[in-house]
Amino acid sequence: MSDDTLFQSRRAFLQALPAITAGVALPMNTASAAEGKHHWAMLVDVRKCIGCQACTVSCIMENAVPENSFRTIVSTYTVTQEVDGKTVAGTYVLPRLCNHCDNPPCVPVCPVNATFKRDDGIVVVDGYRCVGCAYCVQACPYDARFINHDTGKADKCTFCAHRVDAGLLPACVETCVGGARIFGDLNDPKGELRRRLDAAKEADAIKVLKPESGARPNVFYIGLDPRFQGRVEGQGALWRPSEHGA
Amino acid sequence: MNTSIVEVVNVAREVSWLPWAVQYFFLIGLSVGCFLLTLPWFVLRRPAWERASRLALLGALACGLTAPVALLADLHQPARFLNFYLHPNLGSWMAWGAFFIPLYLGGLALYAWLVLRPDLKRLADIGGRGAGIYRAFAYGGHDSLGATRIAAVLALAGAALVALYTGMEVMVVSARPLWDTPFLPVQFFITAVAGAIGLVLVLDRAIGDGRAAEGTHLLRLLAATQVLVLAVGAAWLLLGVTGLSPRHAEALAQVAPSAAWRITAVWAAGSALATLWLAVRHPEWRLAAGLIALHSAWMMRWTIFIGGQQIPKTSAGFYDYHLPLGQDGLLGIVGTAGLWIAVLILLISVLPWAGQRRAQA
Ligand code: SF4
Ligand code: SF4
Repeated sequence: MSDDTLFQSRRAFLQALPAITAGVALPMNTASAAEGKHHWAMLVDVRKCIGCQACTVSCIMENAVPENSFRTIVSTYTVTQEVDGKTVAGTYVLPRLCNHCDNPPCVPVCPVNATFKRDDGIVVVDGYRCVGCAYCVQACPYDARFINHDTGKADKCTFCAHRVDAGLLPACVETCVGGARIFGDLNDPKGELRRRLDAAKEADAIKVLKPESGARPNVFYIGLDPRFQGRVEGQGALWRPSEHGA
Repeated sequence: MNTSIVEVVNVAREVSWLPWAVQYFFLIGLSVGCFLLTLPWFVLRRPAWERASRLALLGALACGLTAPVALLADLHQPARFLNFYLHPNLGSWMAWGAFFIPLYLGGLALYAWLVLRPDLKRLADIGGRGAGIYRAFAYGGHDSLGATRIAAVLALAGAALVALYTGMEVMVVSARPLWDTPFLPVQFFITAVAGAIGLVLVLDRAIGDGRAAEGTHLLRLLAATQVLVLAVGAAWLLLGVTGLSPRHAEALAQVAPSAAWRITAVWAAGSALATLWLAVRHPEWRLAAGLIALHSAWMMRWTIFIGGQQIPKTSAGFYDYHLPLGQDGLLGIVGTAGLWIAVLILLISVLPWAGQRRAQA
């Protein structure tokens, strides 16, 4: 299996299923950090997200995320506004995860170099080295990090690096019901991610969260309402996880 | 078009710099402030300052010895501190802290030993239990101003670096507009000095003879810190209100709508004014002034750290914080306070902190 065939959305994955079945016996040419030729990124098409939280759940299962902690979540909002003199209410959903920033503020603050950006763009935490000081948690402009109560160390989305290294998709992408999450290599001009990004860029439809932070995210959005691009002005969550484990 | 947005589902990020961190910043600040107050007597030999400087030395040691314990507790597993020395990232202010703290505490310990040597010898000369140990520690009991000055410079460098790194560490977090202001290290430092004066005044009433403020301008110094606290606060507010600095305006916009934050601001300004008024007009109530200054130094850190972490970076509204009763919360605060008192009692019991007066007693 070549790198190009790393499936970039659930649909592409399903279409390629027969190829995997045929290819399991062959040695896999997996994505490797050391090669440095990949630049993993994600495109979230907000218009396709149905807010089902399948990604949230699959991430928890895949990564043994402790109770009441989340590496990814679909923020859900009720928006009430006046349109043509009528008050209408709707739901807005926004999948959030670590942006694997190109200029990640979480990295330089780490006192022990435990958090770093791999050659392939994935920002990870070396659990052996991390001292749990939570400086990176403070520095991330996206509230993407937390201290894992089971390990007492920094935790966050890894783009499922263990799966990507094995030639698989991140768990959230694989389970995405609406096909809203597209994962792939920015350096692959023929890949679905690059093609979708290029097409949307022409229409000026690509946005990132908090562009002013200077972090240069690698999670891109189509259909991102500017009112949700930074800190949301509104009423706080009606439901939030309770205190961590008893 | 009127829009109202209500968040229905989202994650609430917990406070990850726990009350331990508040205790650390409070205690290390007090220690640095107290150390500065020891200099007028032990280095500059201003006789009027003897009482205040001796009490301040106790404060510097007790706070300095307790502070790192709070810091280690915040790591969830204290032995992890080794990684600070095995894999330092010198681009991180926190990593530098691991070198500045021992420098300061080492300098402080050396300085304390040098300035107390003559008193240790006096204690040994009186005889009684422990005379041998005191004699060994007195190591001749010389009063060497030259050596003291060298140790003072070392401790002063350590103190300056600790004050610098604790301020910068928080200031560089640009993800939190409230922290991302050059006023923060200044405010940390001024409130630390004010708290240290407050601690000396409290210790003066508790274990001194109540005369530490006599002839020392200690109260005037306390008043000056409060004027500075108010000036820095006003400057921050001005930059935010006028929009001269977009960062400050952003920070102000985050907290201004919250009634709790407005009350906190009024409380802080009121406390500073009350301290100022007591220090200038009612020297006889200096204990009250000292207690309020101490409380302000703690409150400022609590508000910055715990309050600051309740402001979501992307979510709407505020994250709720309820002080847990266990070691991540109340137990941590009470535990550090208890340790501080135990260390203080130990120091009072074994050190000839009061000098001649104690030795003759
Ligand atoms: S989103 Fe936050 S945690 Fe992820 S790379 Fe960017 S700064 Fe770091
Ligand atoms: S919590 Fe771990 S990864 Fe984060 S800054 Fe501290 S040591 Fe580094």
